[in-house]
Amino acid sequence: MAKSFQVDIVTPEAVIWSGEAEFLTARTTEGDIGVLADHEPTMAALSTGAVKVEHADGMTVAGIHGGFLQVYQNQVTLLTDAAELTEGSVDAARKAAAGLREAAQAEDTEDEPTS
Amino acid sequence: MASAEVRQIRRRIKSVESTMKITRAMELIATARIGKAQQRVAKAKPYTLKMNEVIANIASATGSLSHPLLESRDVETVGVLVVTSDRGLAGGYNASVIRLAEQAVAAHRAAGREVRIYTIGGKALGYFRYRKYQIVHNWLGVTDTPTYADARSIANTVLDEYASGRVDAVEAYTTEYVSALTQTAHMWPVLPIEPPEAEEESSSPVAYEFEPSAEAILDRLLPRYLEGTMFGVLLDASASEHAARRRAMKAATENAEELTRILTREANQARQAEITTEISEIVGGAEALSGG
Repeated sequence: MAKSFQVDIVTPEAVIWSGEAEFLTARTTEGDIGVLADHEPTMAALSTGAVKVEHADGMTVAGIHGGFLQVYQNQVTLLTDAAELTEGSVDAARKAAAGLREAAQAEDTEDEPTS
Repeated sequence: MASAEVRQIRRRIKSVESTMKITRAMELIATARIGKAQQRVAKAKPYTLKMNEVIANIASATGSLSHPLLESRDVETVGVLVVTSDRGLAGGYNASVIRLAEQAVAAHRAAGREVRIYTIGGKALGYFRYRKYQIVHNWLGVTDTPTYADARSIANTVLDEYASGRVDAVEAYTTEYVSALTQTAHMWPVLPIEPPEAEEESSSPVAYEFEPSAEAILDRLLPRYLEGTMFGVLLDASASEHAARRRAMKAATENAEELTRILTREANQARQAEITTEISEIVGGAEALSGG
């Protein structure tokens, strides 16, 4: 069995997913990043896209929008503005991520503060 | 049959009882809301903790943090953000925050600094507007159940004011939820951002690989940090509001119970007095007839 590491996907409102994983991919502002156990300490800015986590029980996919990824001492933390777990396919996750981005943008435009 | 006095007392009992129904309902609602608010505080905690950890790690990796949002500058204008509820009937909740904020405003003015006031919640808006303070921004409908989007909107506005130089520092006056019985008004320095301390001093700095760069990450991270902290503060204030309201409504319900007890006793006495009068009238009348 492949060596595993701890993954936490956290949004401001809740912990979306937390557990042991063997492989993780995510989309950063610079491009896709893949993380295996014993990855060097990394700090990356996340863009909108799918996160794929492979673990002993299969695969978890989530769409995320914005945030940061930290790899530190075999702990991967994804701090993201919004996230949504999707069943199975990466395409569904991408769609969910796009939806999250639209929701965030809609919020920004209508949220003009009243004075 | 009942005399005017008895009727009046009964009417008061009814009115007190119906008020008591309202206060009891509000107490129950507030109790449920506290639970919910606390759950949300607990759910938001991991994000804030991780965020603190990340910032502390960046600080240790780069030696020292330097960013415009972290640097304090000469303060000529202070932004004061007051967090209150939209509705009253929450005991001293709003009064104590507003008092603290107003004292601070007075102190800043005495020291020759300009003040820009931002208010969250109808109570602060009403208070400061009535006293002819200029209110730069105001948010309503936030404090009952604050959402992350609310926190972001507030954080962005404050950041914008700071970045454009309209204010040189921002202080928030808000209520901290200490326990169900204690909530204290306190000041939170919003800007410049005070970087969180690392929980334990790591012996060797971590050699991070930054993508794209430490500066770019920090640029994106600090506003997020402010949003996250703002969200935490709003949730705390909301939990405090509900706790304060529960306590106030509980006291009101107990007062109403006491009042009903006293009024019932008065009503009974009045009724008894009335009966005694009637009997003596009858006896007196009968005697007058037979004795005549």
